[in-house]
Amino acid sequence: MRNDVRFATLAAGLALAVVALAGGPAVGGPPSPPPLAPLPELKPEKPEQVELGKMLFFDNRMSGDADRRCADCHDPKKGWADGMALSDGYPGNKYFRNSKTIINVAYAPYLYWDGRMDGEDLPTQVRDALTESYWHLMDGRIMLERWKQAPEYVERFKTAMGGEANFGRTLNAVAAFMKSLTSKNVPFDKYLKGDQGAISEEAKQGLALFQGKAGCIECHNGPMLSDYKPRALGVPENPYVFLTPKRHLQYRSVMKSLGVPNYMNLLEDVGYYGVSKLKKDIGTFITPSLREVSRTAPYMHNGMLATLEDVVEFYNKGGGDRPNKDALLKPLGLSVSEKAALVAFLKTLSGDELIPPDLDRLNDQKMLAPYAKYDWLKYSH
Amino acid sequence: MARTRSKMIVTLLMVVAVAGSGVLVAQGAEQKFVELNGEKFPALAALGPPPIPMDLPQKRDARGFPVLDDPLVQLGFLMMFEGRLTGDGSLSCATCHVPKEGWGLSSAISRGYPGTSHWKNSQTVVNTAYLGKLFWQGDSLALEAQGEAANTGLSGNAKTDLSEERLRQVPEYVKRFKEVFGTEWPILKDAWRAVAAFQRALNDENTPFDRYMRGDKSALTPKQIKGMELFQGKAGCIQCHNGPMLTDEKYYNTGLPQQEEFLKDPVLQFSARWQHYQRGVSEEIYRKSKTDLGLYFVTKVKDHMAAFRTAPLRHLVYTAGYMHNGVFDTLEDVVEFYNEGGGDDPIQRDFGFSTKTKRLKPLKLTKEEKEALVAFLESTTGKEIILPEPKIPDDGIFPAALAKFGQLPPEKFIEKEKKKE
Repeated sequence: MRNDVRFATLAAGLALAVVALAGGPAVGGPPSPPPLAPLPELKPEKPEQVELGKMLFFDNRMSGDADRRCADCHDPKKGWADGMALSDGYPGNKYFRNSKTIINVAYAPYLYWDGRMDGEDLPTQVRDALTESYWHLMDGRIMLERWKQAPEYVERFKTAMGGEANFGRTLNAVAAFMKSLTSKNVPFDKYLKGDQGAISEEAKQGLALFQGKAGCIECHNGPMLSDYKPRALGVPENPYVFLTPKRHLQYRSVMKSLGVPNYMNLLEDVGYYGVSKLKKDIGTFITPSLREVSRTAPYMHNGMLATLEDVVEFYNKGGGDRPNKDALLKPLGLSVSEKAALVAFLKTLSGDELIPPDLDRLNDQKMLAPYAKYDWLKYSH
Repeated sequence: MARTRSKMIVTLLMVVAVAGSGVLVAQGAEQKFVELNGEKFPALAALGPPPIPMDLPQKRDARGFPVLDDPLVQLGFLMMFEGRLTGDGSLSCATCHVPKEGWGLSSAISRGYPGTSHWKNSQTVVNTAYLGKLFWQGDSLALEAQGEAANTGLSGNAKTDLSEERLRQVPEYVKRFKEVFGTEWPILKDAWRAVAAFQRALNDENTPFDRYMRGDKSALTPKQIKGMELFQGKAGCIQCHNGPMLTDEKYYNTGLPQQEEFLKDPVLQFSARWQHYQRGVSEEIYRKSKTDLGLYFVTKVKDHMAAFRTAPLRHLVYTAGYMHNGVFDTLEDVVEFYNEGGGDDPIQRDFGFSTKTKRLKPLKLTKEEKEALVAFLESTTGKEIILPEPKIPDDGIFPAALAKFGQLPPEKFIEKEKKKE
């Protein structure tokens, strides 16, 4: 009882603090952006589903040619991204955008750099990743027959998902695992909850700049530090999207399937325009979350900025150069120490490194739920 | 000369129409029949020129047979070897239709896409121009459709959007497709049309058997002639293996033995289950069946369970193993199987009723008769068709991309080693 009262008081104080940090609405001015806030608690996923989903996430049999795992482009040791400017994709092709971390994906309302996937429906994102030619090129029917050939999966699907391995249960299990990957012990969240010592003085200065002079808060706001809106920044094109044949043809193939006109002649990544087909959206990308950002270099949709320092400098110069560049972007005139403070703040957004304790087992494809040789004429499937 | 692509459907319909009238006979030739046990069957005959779609003319020789020296055919030949058509780029048509293996595959069961297995024997590409029903269960009715279908699922796992863009990334192909089809960019359907044209030019029609049927009575040995008599008489092969292609293109369950690889290979086991699942059979049949259901997968008629299209008996010398599951290594094994009246019906075993053809009865052939039959079966093979493997052209960078971004050092990739069976 006493604890409850104390918590309520703390929460009320916190709310005030958050409003104060955000600066509050200016009288007569534009509405202020949603305040920064700690990640809300989520209802925990069922552990047995998370466990099954984790195994599938690391299983290369969940791709067409049994050679590509989710974990190849979402590697726990690389912040659950892949550390490369442009992601690899399925063998035979190369992808044309940067791999995003899947940490905190449970909170994201839109998925992918162009926001073409609904974050509320994570199993459908898993379906997309499995079946699209550029990621797993997986026939869902052969996938479930593979699981049924592995006695450990047969058992785990029964106990965790309530029946035989099928396509939907596979998607749900992987989605459960992905939702379970949320930031833990984030210094900035601790600070927001009242632990003044959780972040350095420099980081606090960076936070003030983030919400003030640097104006980052205009787009990077709320608990995920993102407004999830499409924005044109003028990040330079990554020339390799168009100079590496396997990337260029992959890009065209995706644009063709999205119904983008004149896809044969595009020499820029049109981003969210591929979804909206509105000219004003050419070259816009959905604002990314800044959580765990220190682990997921290189940055931007095409990995063109190598470090957080580069990113801050990019914004300091008012972004790049394009006709429909977001009006919010203007040169900031930040000093060297101010830029360093911003970077220090951004680093407080990373929590514990989320490395599965059984990573070695998960990476050993021979040990991961091996196939059985059934007595073909006798066994019942 | 550019070929227009607008009449493709018409072409397909025409091919179907011709095929639908039974086994193809040379134009102008009169259909002859042989009688056996009171039934009439199309007579064995030499091959005439194959039918060619009217909207995609091919160069022919003086006798009317399509020739290899044709830009369309040469493009199709390239496409046969082109990995870019398949899902991860690691396979091509020629992976399972190897020139040195009779344009089929010498293994009993064909290869599958990496991480899966095929579950049937790979058939030769030679003489397919004459067939109206393609695949062992007649899934496709035209070569154009067959190639495309073979590039999906457990054989090719391709996505058309991607395969098409891969072709467009190759300057050599942009040029050659434009020359042959007149399109600005290669179109995937045209790749399959080119492959079909190549197949129509890949014929083994000057075999001892064909020469004999055209009047050269010295082309067959006395033993082979005796084999042919048995074929049309005591052995009764003609009941199903008739006409110039030695097939009636109808479907029979012969009670073929189980392919033993199924009993031990997990990848083959789940791939076989996949075949049932993706064909949309009922749950009961999906769970009970332990054999390839053949024509049933197409028609869902119970009488068609485990029935397969009568195999053409040409080019046999180069195309062992035999039967839809490659269970027999030699023609002697095949003759012996029929001598015993076929095998035990797997449908009886799995479902308690039989679909095995009533035509098969023990033949009581002597050793000499069996040898004569094998000798005859060898007479329908001519020269081995070996073509040098073509050089696959490289990807290129679009000139407009080079103009915009300039020349940069190429990206370096560490490719994961591909798993190949």
